[in-house]
Amino acid sequence: MKQNNGKTYWRSLGELQETPEFQEFLHREFPVAASEFPEGMSRRRWMELMGASLGLGGLAGCRWEAQKIAPFAIRPENRIPGKPEQFATSVELGGMPRHLLMTCYDGRPIKVEGNPDHPDSKGATDAFAQACILGLYDPDRSDTARELQGRDSFLRTWDEFDKYVEKRLQSLANVGGKGLAILVEPRSSCSRNAMLTQIRKRFPQVQLYSHATLSAPDEDITRSVFGSGFRVSLHLAAAKRIACFDADLLGIHPTAPRNAAGFASSREPSAGMSRLYAVESQFSVTGASADHRLPRKSVEIPALVARLEALVSDRLGQPPRTSAVATGDEEAEEFLLALAEDLVAHPGESLVVVGATQPAATRELALVLNERLGAIGTTLNLYAAPEMVETKSLAALVDAAEQGDIDTLFLFGGNPVYDAPGDLEVAAALVGIPHTIRCGVYEDETSAVCRWHVPLAHAFEGWDDVRSWEGNYCVAQPLIDPLLNGRSELEVLARMVGDSREMQQIVRDSIAASLGTELPQAAWQKLVHDGLLTSYEPAAVTPKVLEGYAYVAPELSAEVEVVFTPSSSTLDGCFANNGWLQETPDFLTKLTWDNAALVSPATAVDLNLEHGKFVKIAIADRHVEVPVYVMPGQARGSVGLALGYGRTKAGKVGGDFEQSVETVGFDVNPIRPSGTLIPRVATSVTITPLDREYKFATTQDHHAIDKVGMEEIARRVDDLVREGPLDVYLEHPDFVHHHSHHPEAVPLWEEPSYDGNAWGMAIDLNKCVGCNACTVACQAENNVPIVGKEQVAVGREMHWIRIDRYFTGDFENPEVTHQPVACHHCETAPCEQVCPVAATVHSNEGLNDMIYNRCIGTRYCGNNCPYKVRRFNFFNYNKDLEDGSRQLAQLVVNPEVTVRSRGVMEKCTYCVQRIQTVKIDAKTGRRAIADGEIKTACQQACPSNAIEFGDLNDAESKVAKLHKDNRAYGMLSELNVKPRTRYLARIRNPNRALVALDARYEGGHGGGANHGDEHHDHEGKPEAHDSEAGASHAAGEHA
Amino acid sequence: MSHASVIVPSLDEPLVKGNHTYASVTDTVCKITERTQTPRAWYIAFAVSVSLTAMLFGLIGYLIATGVGVWGNNSPVFWAWPITNFVFWVGIGHAGTLISAILFLFRQNWRTSINRFAEAMTIFAVACAGIFPAIHVGRIWFVYWLAPYPSQHLAMWPNFRSPLLWDVFAVSTYATVSLLFWYMGMIPDLATLRDRATSKVKQFAYGVASLGWTGSARQWNRYEKAYMLLAALATPLVLSVHTIVSFDFAVSQVPGWHTTIFPPYFVAGAVFSGFAMVVTLMVPARAWFGLKDFVTERHLENMTKIILATGSMVGFAYATEFFIAWYSGNGYEQFAFVNRAFGPYAWAYWTMVSCNVIAPQMFWFKKARTTPWIMVIICIFVNIGMWFERFVITVTSLSRDFLPSSWGYFTPTPIDILMFIGSFGLFFTLFLLFCRYLPMIAISEVKGVMPPPPEGDVSRSAVTDGPAPSAEPSPVGNPGPNPFLAGGGATI
Repeated sequence: MKQNNGKTYWRSLGELQETPEFQEFLHREFPVAASEFPEGMSRRRWMELMGASLGLGGLAGCRWEAQKIAPFAIRPENRIPGKPEQFATSVELGGMPRHLLMTCYDGRPIKVEGNPDHPDSKGATDAFAQACILGLYDPDRSDTARELQGRDSFLRTWDEFDKYVEKRLQSLANVGGKGLAILVEPRSSCSRNAMLTQIRKRFPQVQLYSHATLSAPDEDITRSVFGSGFRVSLHLAAAKRIACFDADLLGIHPTAPRNAAGFASSREPSAGMSRLYAVESQFSVTGASADHRLPRKSVEIPALVARLEALVSDRLGQPPRTSAVATGDEEAEEFLLALAEDLVAHPGESLVVVGATQPAATRELALVLNERLGAIGTTLNLYAAPEMVETKSLAALVDAAEQGDIDTLFLFGGNPVYDAPGDLEVAAALVGIPHTIRCGVYEDETSAVCRWHVPLAHAFEGWDDVRSWEGNYCVAQPLIDPLLNGRSELEVLARMVGDSREMQQIVRDSIAASLGTELPQAAWQKLVHDGLLTSYEPAAVTPKVLEGYAYVAPELSAEVEVVFTPSSSTLDGCFANNGWLQETPDFLTKLTWDNAALVSPATAVDLNLEHGKFVKIAIADRHVEVPVYVMPGQARGSVGLALGYGRTKAGKVGGDFEQSVETVGFDVNPIRPSGTLIPRVATSVTITPLDREYKFATTQDHHAIDKVGMEEIARRVDDLVREGPLDVYLEHPDFVHHHSHHPEAVPLWEEPSYDGNAWGMAIDLNKCVGCNACTVACQAENNVPIVGKEQVAVGREMHWIRIDRYFTGDFENPEVTHQPVACHHCETAPCEQVCPVAATVHSNEGLNDMIYNRCIGTRYCGNNCPYKVRRFNFFNYNKDLEDGSRQLAQLVVNPEVTVRSRGVMEKCTYCVQRIQTVKIDAKTGRRAIADGEIKTACQQACPSNAIEFGDLNDAESKVAKLHKDNRAYGMLSELNVKPRTRYLARIRNPNRALVALDARYEGGHGGGANHGDEHHDHEGKPEAHDSEAGASHAAGEHA
Repeated sequence: MSHASVIVPSLDEPLVKGNHTYASVTDTVCKITERTQTPRAWYIAFAVSVSLTAMLFGLIGYLIATGVGVWGNNSPVFWAWPITNFVFWVGIGHAGTLISAILFLFRQNWRTSINRFAEAMTIFAVACAGIFPAIHVGRIWFVYWLAPYPSQHLAMWPNFRSPLLWDVFAVSTYATVSLLFWYMGMIPDLATLRDRATSKVKQFAYGVASLGWTGSARQWNRYEKAYMLLAALATPLVLSVHTIVSFDFAVSQVPGWHTTIFPPYFVAGAVFSGFAMVVTLMVPARAWFGLKDFVTERHLENMTKIILATGSMVGFAYATEFFIAWYSGNGYEQFAFVNRAFGPYAWAYWTMVSCNVIAPQMFWFKKARTTPWIMVIICIFVNIGMWFERFVITVTSLSRDFLPSSWGYFTPTPIDILMFIGSFGLFFTLFLLFCRYLPMIAISEVKGVMPPPPEGDVSRSAVTDGPAPSAEPSPVGNPGPNPFLAGGGATI
């Protein structure tokens, strides 16, 4: 980082000449952000500055010591130029540990994968972890320390900061640390914990606080049920009946990737398929995958859980913990009755989960219920929670600040000024503290009210450790030197207590101390290499419910409630400046770059709201104005507001008032109440419709669909996304092939055959939960550009793999189906025939190759593609990479994949670069390519293993077997395009006590009874590869 | 061949009205270009057109510098206004060649008064049409890759399976032949202008342009043969160009595009729109330039009849499309048409039907066929309707194809709209230049459909300023140009 080295030099000159004039001069000459550049400067002044720059530049050039570029005369160990290396690491995102394997090119991390050796990942990740790498190279990250004095801001060096801190701490140490406070994000790091413990030792009266919007530690609830702090770990693979109450196990959850994998494995239709029930106010990823879903307000859910407990206890013949009787809600009662029967019928294989938005009492009751159902130790395991220094809440911090008890406050990470509930008035409290020191990766809203801001290193730039959810020790190792002069949180803390050990040593010692054993060098190296302590097996415990446990029903009611949900793009706002995530469509609304007030169609009528028009939502004396998005499946009377938007100082992507970058979405934190019984839910709300319109940018249904269109969608969906109930499937395993009837299509000309490899893909719709991990993984792997809200709004998003979402059934409680769609690499690709310059052609392995440098951009291929997976570069979408002031962003580019220019078409390549890498490796190793050796980026990221890729010519390959599965079908195969990607139909597992068999399945399989037997052969046994035989197979498919 | 037989006996009205002699025909037509004082109205019109043309080229520059995203095109509507404009202008360019070639071969000698005008219009329309596909590609600087040239660094040919490539050949061939045809037909008249020219510049310019035409019998002989051959060559092109343009759509598999009816339907539509444009321009032009004697009501009426016939064909095609969509049992096809008529673009569809099917039915009434202002109004509607036809075909089909998840809606940007307006600017710029500097009526051909002068009446002879021309009759006996009528090139 030449540019940054340059900046370091300037600053070190400042060290030499610490005169106030020079400071002032330095400040004026080198402002951090371009917009701070003085305007209206005279020519004379300009010449002065340029002259000084030149002179000082020469001075900087005289320095010898700071040379950091090492020649490759001695090659670093295992480093082969141009050959990627992989390192295990871990990060914690808003309290959710993620265990990763980073791919680095020439010392530069470019891609996040899941750590395949880690049981919580098994190689999979979620969308957030995938996008972390973009944050590492975010040019908007803070790169300088600065101090506010009055209204003036001065750039500072780390040395100056150290001196300042030393002075402060010295005076605080004299009074035993009275007045010293530290605010951290809740994390499970042993090393940070060790540092905080040391700080407490040095400053006995120090006050420690922690704050994170989304954290809801299990420790608190287990303490009141079992008497001790445990972490609740779910084992969904073993669960046959799962009931979720406002719980998003598969979406935003500490162990979401592992949950999704477990859930997917339990959905094998031929092997005792699981059944998922969901009761929730907002549509979650989990709810969308449920077999039965009951939309109810969050405030009503405690009563429903209590009622379920009563029903289950009754059936088990045990005294109920609650005295809940049937509410007047008949639908809910019927649902709970069926659910209770089903749960009781599966002892030791059932599971009840209550989400973090529910009151503690209800979550506690769920634990008790699980104990009754025999879930503890089978589908739900308890592990001792990592022991951490005790911290107090943000509200306590605000109180203390108002009392004037705090003299010096260190704030590490987080962004309380933005994301704390509005009624806490955090900003005002912080301003009242004499010495506020913010250590942040970004100079954000919180930094703006703090006296000092110093840049924190990115999680990929420093040593740390993370406890896995079950408590295993995982190391976070630096993958690159701090790019922007930041220090890790650990380093800043270590300096506060004068701990001069190396960071690596601190981490190692802290883990060893926590383990209570020595960590010899070999064990440490293995730990760093593996990413987790493989020799350590966290022990599950099976505690008994405390004698004194008693359920106290929370008193809750609301005419209209507002539920504050984490955003599927920005989480709680920490990813607001991440373009990949901002542009990732929400899994259900398909909204990009925005949040909205989600209401059900009935609520919209009740409250007189209109889709796309603003609504004023007032809670107490605060209000926000947000556009309405009418979302089928929301609970009636429940308004969903996603957190994490409306940032005013996030950066060039997420909004920055100072740089005149508009905010993205709407900040709803101001109306969020603090200290409610039910977290993140507001119960007394005033809703006023406004007459202002707003334009959303969605990736599906870009525009409102009219009646003609709606009817057609209803007619088509059944054929495009095939699904059926389990009982029908078991009786007629080939029911999928009788869904539709199309005349036989005859190929126009002789089709090519593929003797070597024939790559193909299979996507199991039964496993896909629609979590978007594939979309972001593809974006990272294939250098897919970010286009921005305006371009998405006109329909120019660039994602190579998208997840189509269809609703079926009732408007108030629809069923959702997800269908990931990428290029199908059709055997007879329609795009290839119409390209006038032959820029898209078939490879000899059956890939539909796109030749960017031959493409002239007629876009004819895009028109002719029935799957609409081709993406066109209408503008130079990579302009940002060429911007000299944002060069850091270039580093994220995958060198294996071309960055496309303006005016060319692009699309999914089946990750051809990964195919080639493996092929070359196999060739040099003189071996065959093993099945599963090539993993596409989407496949690798997918937590539920819904995507399979491999050689169709190899009859033993997984993908070839899946293509022959009786659930496999080719979407739009009636067009005779012979797609290489086949879908496996989704099977739902409805409870027949709740829903009768659909009339169309009765007495056969969708009219299939009228079929001659000859049809059954075709689809039942598709050929391994759609070459010669494939032609006849696809042709006969819908005969 | 006697001159009397040139006039079709069944039509009682003469093709040239007024008491015109050969000399007065030459005078009337040539005077338009020979006026020393350019009319103020021409200047105003020209200034407007040139400004719009400049805007068009300015926008093209902006487009090239920025990217085709300046238009409203998106996914799934990868083709939108530019392609609509292209097909629209190609269609307009249909009348000229049809009049020149097909009507020529069918001995429809009423064509002589309007063919020069229509051919010029064809050339200018094709020029406008040609711009759009060229600037439509994403990387304009590589547009020449569409040409099958032996290239060393690429070592590959274009994809001959692609209809877009056929289109390149079809349109470029059509443009070339139309240009040649127009120019060749103009040579005798250019020679006339050259001979009448008073200034050196004009003498030189027209002299060069007339390629040394002397009007000798040998030249007439060659000229007639060449004209005949070009007419024969151009005739299939009239059908082929729009057939192949329609292949761009028909060969794809987009529901609403993939139909076999497209070639005839497109050709009929093109003739329909071409004639409508001729009438739209001819009616004011003949009034302003005093050409009512040559372009008579009879000419206009004939054209309206063609418009009525082709308009009905187009209407029939619309109905057939719906019938076939229903009859085929193909759900995607059926939806494409239901969606056209009742979906989000219903407004465009019904505009199209009103303008193209209902408006020309007015021509069943004699009053509409003979009243110029009514004609112009109807023809303007037809022009609007035909633009919408192309818009409906291109955009509605693309906006909703197979996967509902990818459905979209196209909204034009100001650039889309201004570029379309700019293309009219280019068209009218060329047209105004033509009106000012070239003979708008084929002088020599019109003389061929006039009754011959009485024997010995020298004053009524067409040749007043040169030796008597050869009286040799047309060797092929067609109703084409008469050797009497050329400018007296013998002086050179």
